[in-house]
Amino acid sequence: MAADPNKLGIFVTSPQHMRHILGIAKAAVRADKKVMVFFTFKSIHLTKNPLFYELSQLCAVEDIAICADSYICEGFDNVNDVPRGLIDKQMRTQAFHGAILDECAKYIVM
Amino acid sequence: MESLKVYILIANRVYNDGIRSGLGLAVENHYAFPVIMNGEFPRFSNYMSENIAWIADMEGQVFSCGAEAPTDLPEGTEIANISLEELGERMREADFIIPYGLPKQSHEPPAACSE
Amino acid sequence: MKILQVYKSEPTEDVKKLVEILNRDRVADEFKLYIGEPNYDILVQKIFANDKTVCWW
Repeated sequence: MAADPNKLGIFVTSPQHMRHILGIAKAAVRADKKVMVFFTFKSIHLTKNPLFYELSQLCAVEDIAICADSYICEGFDNVNDVPRGLIDKQMRTQAFHGAILDECAKYIVM
Repeated sequence: MESLKVYILIANRVYNDGIRSGLGLAVENHYAFPVIMNGEFPRFSNYMSENIAWIADMEGQVFSCGAEAPTDLPEGTEIANISLEELGERMREADFIIPYGLPKQSHEPPAACSE
Repeated sequence: MKILQVYKSEPTEDVKKLVEILNRDRVADEFKLYIGEPNYDILVQKIFANDKTVCWW
């Protein structure tokens, strides 16, 4: 699949930049761009930030996911405690990051 | 699908999970180059050692930049030394550069998390 | 090749050196996220105007 020139991938690896992530995603949507986001390792704690739900509503279901292994490693229950704004099929593997690299013409790490 | 060259820079001892993330891309047929900066090495558990070896099997490489890589790693687990200048030159050819997690801490870890 | 360097915190000497090498002979731009209230609209414009973005710690 060729990368979509109007799609921005955001790879979230830090647990402390929710304000920037949401700010960038909102600005991208204002500019008629699509946003695809993956949260991994300790950044999955951002799913407990109230701003996370707002972010989840800016993305198509297939365009936002978190690393299920990271979520479990950090002690959360991936069955009974799916983050607000997500459904179980958005608990994914690192392959989702690979999909971001393939599908998004632009990319930023947060 | 095009195989991409991806450098994952690890500057903080807590964020050596960047190596697992690199392996995740390697199994997607990308070239993964995790770089441990300034001696922020992980604990070399069997899992971590296997991941490092597997990245090499997939034509990637784990590097150490700014500190000598340990030489007493399990067989098949190799970390190559690279200078900052060499790293910069190699990254000019990268498709993606990922400064992973958090920056280096100012202080050594307290006893509660030092082992 | 147009490259954008984004900083989430003040760059270290190592980061400055790597950026110097990455930017050599290229059209380079930068954006500092750690100063004041960032204008995310401008950042997104820059991301889409450049071929590659590196977002440092």
